[in-house]
Amino acid sequence: MNDFVVTINKKKKNIKIQKEDNVLLDGKSFHVEYSKVNDYLYLVNIDNRVYEITTNRLNELNYRFGLDGHYSEVEVRTTLEEMVNDYLINKAKYAHHDSIVAPMPGLILKFTKKVGEEVKQGEALCILEAMKMENEIRSPINGFVKEIYLAEGNSVEKGQIILTIE
Amino acid sequence: MFKKILIVNRGEIAVRIIKACREMKIISAVLYTDADKNSLHVRASDQAYYIGKSAANESYLNIPKIIETAKQINADAIHPGYGFLSENSQFIREVENAGITFIGPSSKSVEMMGEKTSARRLMKESNVPIVPGTVKSIETSAEALEIAEEIGYPIMIKAAAGGGGKGMRKVYNKSELTSSFDRAKNEALKSFGNFDVYIEKLIEEPKHIEVQILGDKFGNYVHLFERECSIQRRHQKIIEEAPSSFVDQETRNKLTTAAINAAKACNYSNAGTIEFLMDKNKNFYFLEMNTRLQVEHPVTEMISGVDLVKEQINIAFGEKLSIVQSDLKINGHAIECRIYAEDTENNFAPSTGIILHHRLPSGPGIRVDRGIDLKSDVSVYYDPLLSKVIAHGKNREEAISRLMRALGEYQIVGVITNIPLCKWILERKTFLSGKFDINFIENELFPLLPSNWKEDINENYENVIAILGALLKAKELELKPSKYQNSSSNKWGDLRYE
Repeated sequence: MNDFVVTINKKKKNIKIQKEDNVLLDGKSFHVEYSKVNDYLYLVNIDNRVYEITTNRLNELNYRFGLDGHYSEVEVRTTLEEMVNDYLINKAKYAHHDSIVAPMPGLILKFTKKVGEEVKQGEALCILEAMKMENEIRSPINGFVKEIYLAEGNSVEKGQIILTIE
Repeated sequence: MFKKILIVNRGEIAVRIIKACREMKIISAVLYTDADKNSLHVRASDQAYYIGKSAANESYLNIPKIIETAKQINADAIHPGYGFLSENSQFIREVENAGITFIGPSSKSVEMMGEKTSARRLMKESNVPIVPGTVKSIETSAEALEIAEEIGYPIMIKAAAGGGGKGMRKVYNKSELTSSFDRAKNEALKSFGNFDVYIEKLIEEPKHIEVQILGDKFGNYVHLFERECSIQRRHQKIIEEAPSSFVDQETRNKLTTAAINAAKACNYSNAGTIEFLMDKNKNFYFLEMNTRLQVEHPVTEMISGVDLVKEQINIAFGEKLSIVQSDLKINGHAIECRIYAEDTENNFAPSTGIILHHRLPSGPGIRVDRGIDLKSDVSVYYDPLLSKVIAHGKNREEAISRLMRALGEYQIVGVITNIPLCKWILERKTFLSGKFDINFIENELFPLLPSNWKEDINENYENVIAILGALLKAKELELKPSKYQNSSSNKWGDLRYE
C-alpha cells in the first residue's frame, strides 16, 4: 500500500513511497523529509528547500493544503481506491436524476417550484438566504421536480440535498 | 476625555476601536452574542456584556437593549463602527437623548445624507455632480419601469438606506426589472429595515474613487486625499488603495473640493467619506456619503499618518481638529486586501467554521486589522470579513510586492478564504497597470470560474503538496492496521470496533 494517486487542481499525480525519505512522483525521484509543527502545519524539506504547508483533513478522502497563499483541495487515494473510484464514476453516468444541493449554509426562504412541476435549465428552484444576501438556486438541467426534502424557513448546511430533479 | 466607550459592533472594526481606546486610556466596553462568545473583540476589550441571541436584530441591532446597557454600565460615549447601527439616525437620536455622546455625526447630518435620495437632492443644490436618476424613492415596479424607460437602460436599483452592496441590483433590460426590483426591496428591508429603493443610470466602466474627510464641531474641515476601491464584486470591495494611480493633481483638487463642499452641505462633523464614480475622462459623480468610519480607512492612515479613530474620538469629545490642510501630504502608497471567509470557486459562498490555525504576516510596511484568532467561530450570522492586510511602501510597486509577500505568509486553517484570489488579482496585468474599473472581477475572473483561474499555480507547489498528501495518507494507513478502510459515505463506519 505505498502507491498513491493524488488529485490536485484536476491533475492526477502518481506517487510511490519508496523509503521513509524517498518518493517517486510520476517516475521522478525526490529526497523528502517532513515534520509536524502542529495538527494543522507541516514542514516539508524536498531537495534542500523547506516548505511550510497548512493542512486540514476535511474527510476520509480530502485534504485542504495551503502553501504561500495558494490553497488546494486535494484527493488522496491508494492506487486501488483510485481504480474503484474510476469504475463508480463511469457507472454514475447512467443514472437519471440530479440532486440539487445547497452551495452554502443558509436559510430556505422560498421554493419557486413545486413537486412535479417542469423546470428548464437555468430556471430558479428556490431562494436561499445566506449572510443577508438572497441567492437564487437555479436548475442545471431540464426536467421535473421529483422530490423536495425541505420546507420554507428550514436552514441548510453546505452540501445538503434540497431537492431532486428527474 | 471620555472615561468609557461602548463599542456597538463586532469583528475587526470593534478590535480596531478597542486599540484606539487603549492608547487613549479609555475603558472599552463591547457587546457579544451566543455566536460571539469566543470572538476576538470580546477577548481584547476591557469589559464585555452579553446582549442577546446570535441573530443581529436580537443583538447588535436591538436599539432599546443597547441604550439600556449603555446607561447601566455608565458609558459616556458610543462608537458604532461601520455597518449595523452606524448610519441609523433613529439610533443616533436615542443615544443623544440618553445623554450619551455618539462618536459620529449628528442624527441630523445622517438623516440628510443617509437617505440616499434626499442626499442626491442636497448634492444637486450644492453643485456636487450626481449620477442621473431619481431623487426620491420608487414605490412600485410599474413606476420603476416608467423611470427606467425615461433615463434608459442599463440602470441600477439601490436601497435608499443602503450600503455594502445589499439591496442593490443592476438591470440591463425590461424583462429583468420586476424580479430585480422585488429582490432589491426584500434585501433592503432585511439589511436596513427599510424597503425604499431608487433608480440611477448605470455609468459604464467607472472607477470607484472616494475622499476621506474630517470635520470638527467648529466648522473646520480637512480632506485626507482619495482612495480607489474599484476592485469589487457585487459592490463589495475587495482591494482598496491610496492614492489612486488614475487621479492626477488637477483632478485631485477638484475632487477633494467637491468632497468638502458635500460635507459642509450637511453640516457634517466627524470622519466621513464621499464616494464618487469616475468615468474614463475623469468626470466624477457623487454616489453617496458614508457618515461613518470605512472598512478601508487604514490605507488613508498609512499614507497620511493620521489615526482616524482617535481623531473621531477627539472630535466627538468636542475638541478642535488637531491638523490643518497644509499639514497633510501623501506619503508613499498603501493597499489593503479584505480577507473574507468565502469560497471563490463555489460562487463566493460564505465559508463557516472554527479557526483552527492562524499565523499573521509581519515585517516592513505590513499591518493587519483582524477580528479573528484561534478558536474564533466564523458563523453564518454576520459579515464574512475576517481581517484586512494592509501594505505600505514608498510607491505602488513596493506596496504591491509587500502585500504579495504578506499574503504568502498569512496562514488560516478552518475556513476557506479569498487569500488566493487576492494574490491572483495582485498579479494581473490590468491591476498592475492601474487601468481597471469596477467591472474588473466580472470581466477578468468570472470567465475563468470555477477552476480555470488557478491554472498558473506553480507546478512545483503542486508537486510538494501532492507528496505531503501521499505521506500523510501513508502514515494514517500505518496507524490503522486494519486492512479495511471505510469510505466517507459508509454510514456503518461509526459502529466499527477498533
